[in-house]
Amino acid sequence: MIETAPIFLTLELASLTTVILFFLAIPLARWISHKKNIFKTIAEVIVSLPLVLPPTVIGFYLLLAFSPSNSFGKFLDHYFDIRLAFSFGGLLIGSVIYSLPFMVHPVLSGLTSLPASLEDASYSLGKTKTQTLFKVLLPNIKPSLLTGIVLTFAHTIGEFGVVLMIGGNIPGRTNVASIAVYDEVEALNYHNANVYAAVLVGISVTILFLLYLSNRKLQEVKIL
Amino acid sequence: MTHFSLQKKLHSAEGPLSLDVNCDIEDGAFISLYGPSGAGKTSLLRMLAGLMPPDSGMIKVKDEIWFDSEKKINIIPQQRLTGFVFQDYALFPNMNVEQNILYALGKNDSKKIIDELLDVTGLGGLRDKRIQMLSGGQQQRVALARAVARKPKLLLLDEPLSAIDNEMRANLQQTLLSIHAQYNVTAIIVSHDINEIVKLTSKTIHLQNGVVRQYQPPTEIFLNQFDEPGSMKGVFLSAEKAANEYEALILTGEQVIKISCSENDAKDLQKGDEIVLSFKGATAFLRKL
Amino acid sequence: MKNRLVSLLIPFFLFHSATSFAQKQKITVAVAANMQYAFKELRNEFEKKYHIQVDVVIGASGNLTRQIMQGAPFDVFISADTKYPENIYQEGFSAEKPKVYARGALVLWTIKPGLQLQKDLHFLLSGNIKSIAIANPKIAPYGSAAVAFLKKMGMYDKLKNKLVYGESISQTSQFIATGNADVGFTAKAVVLSDQMKNKGRWIELNSDEYPPILQAAVLLKYGVENHSSAAREFYEFLFSENAKDIYKKYGYIN
Repeated sequence: MIETAPIFLTLELASLTTVILFFLAIPLARWISHKKNIFKTIAEVIVSLPLVLPPTVIGFYLLLAFSPSNSFGKFLDHYFDIRLAFSFGGLLIGSVIYSLPFMVHPVLSGLTSLPASLEDASYSLGKTKTQTLFKVLLPNIKPSLLTGIVLTFAHTIGEFGVVLMIGGNIPGRTNVASIAVYDEVEALNYHNANVYAAVLVGISVTILFLLYLSNRKLQEVKIL
Repeated sequence: MTHFSLQKKLHSAEGPLSLDVNCDIEDGAFISLYGPSGAGKTSLLRMLAGLMPPDSGMIKVKDEIWFDSEKKINIIPQQRLTGFVFQDYALFPNMNVEQNILYALGKNDSKKIIDELLDVTGLGGLRDKRIQMLSGGQQQRVALARAVARKPKLLLLDEPLSAIDNEMRANLQQTLLSIHAQYNVTAIIVSHDINEIVKLTSKTIHLQNGVVRQYQPPTEIFLNQFDEPGSMKGVFLSAEKAANEYEALILTGEQVIKISCSENDAKDLQKGDEIVLSFKGATAFLRKL
Repeated sequence: MKNRLVSLLIPFFLFHSATSFAQKQKITVAVAANMQYAFKELRNEFEKKYHIQVDVVIGASGNLTRQIMQGAPFDVFISADTKYPENIYQEGFSAEKPKVYARGALVLWTIKPGLQLQKDLHFLLSGNIKSIAIANPKIAPYGSAAVAFLKKMGMYDKLKNKLVYGESISQTSQFIATGNADVGFTAKAVVLSDQMKNKGRWIELNSDEYPPILQAAVLLKYGVENHSSAAREFYEFLFSENAKDIYKKYGYIN
């Protein structure tokens, strides 16, 4: 029979990653959307890298970075007694990197599609950049925000390559559902694999369905 | 008194343009900014609002220095008390009419002015409406109300009525006048409509190739320079013989008029020719421009 | 004119016969990833003796098994365990039962400088050892052997929480080699390989203390049907004295 821990772990990882990326991506996308210079172009390239790099490559370099034999890992181990490989925290970092473009791109796209005059109007009325972001810009790109959330969540649920490299498959800590499916297949337990897959698909479809429904409601209010 | 002297290198569609503008505006005056497209009018407004940095120069509004390149002063737009009406209105889609105007006010400002503004602009019954549901003219009035809500030191209007139809335009011009009178703001309007400029403003900056050609009352700038007294420009449409004379149809401004003229005047004219129409007593004279 | 023709034809014939000479038989062998080091030498020996070209496909045993069952054109399958070859036999993709060609040897390996490896394993209990890598016992025989070993030594329950699981021996070795795992259980073949042999320190564990890690090979139906003689020759070679020497050299036991 299948265990429930991998399912909960996957949902936990996907939710936390989505929340973290939401708060990370907004200021980043905002910064990139302002007048272009070379740094912003470089930032855009870096943000898009996880799209292009195979997840196992990302995972592998994270494995090296996390190792106590190398400077970053050594620093964490020595001063904070933290080992990121084989930990949920390590998976979280991996997921945030892996799904970064899925949150940043929709938000960036939404921001750049807004007329520039909206921002100018807000500034001319005495509002700061931050006030403008929260009161004018974000409320007017709600569909983009939702897209980012949905894509990030769904993408993280399916994350495999990165977790495979740095997770260590530890029960209750890093054995997410995608790895569990893989293991069952490797062990030739196709029945179990199917059950895991069915549960994952079922949960994902439900969540996505609910999110898209609420997006439709938002769209209806916006444009007339 | 508002004084500005600004220089900036702009890149227009026709190539680089050096903007160099110098101007003094009396407090409470309503002046216009007129010139061909690409002359730098919008850029000038943006520099006054603090949305675009000039290369050099100075802006002083009622004893406040907003910009001084030598003293390295550049007050950010949030701290310049300006009102800006954009060409696309820039109303916030996520707010209704009242909220858009409310947005302009700070926490400590009285909300009473909102009622006042809705009244002056005739938007009273629309305060709860989302702005997507408004007509162009109504949106324009919201944009105006919002820009004026803080009783700004400088009101900047960038071709606010260019997208409005003629009937509504007269209406809105009236609203502009009322607002200006009520709040006595110093205002600069960019317009291509000579009608509007002459009706609303006391002085016009004629901007061409980045420099001020003239800064005069519009009645002088747009006074026609024809020798014949009381003459006007028109477009010849047609002429027909009728008894001893010719009856001609002339387009003047937005009206078509029928006049009697001599065969001599009419014979060489073709439809579309620009002409000068003048009267001596009851007799009409036409000559090609 | 005639001479011209002849002089054109001679190179043609020579070329033709040369290529037909070069058209020796060819077989494809699927090899489990951790056998790849030993396999290289096996293949060289075999090709020298038999003039049969051996193409190789390297992969995880599970993947290769799946491919074979989907009809992949492999003649022989050299696995790192017995489960997958058994499965292949049960599903009818081989004509004969699989045969064990070697036994794997378990070692304890670390690259942590200054870490002393002791055979009694008590040092694993120390607070310095935060993670111990083993292969996933559910799918890798080296993993289940390591678990059995720990249980035999009475240390499994105490060390359970420090265990991190690699999906394969390669991944387990990766955890150890990058220093993320302080120490781990891997195959002797890995620590003797060219890439890893000078990294860190290892000790061989007593093979009586864990169930034998049997590695089996199987002659596939595809091989029998398409390259019958060449495939069989290679398959038999896997059990020859020559091969046994090679296994020993690469860290397997007999």
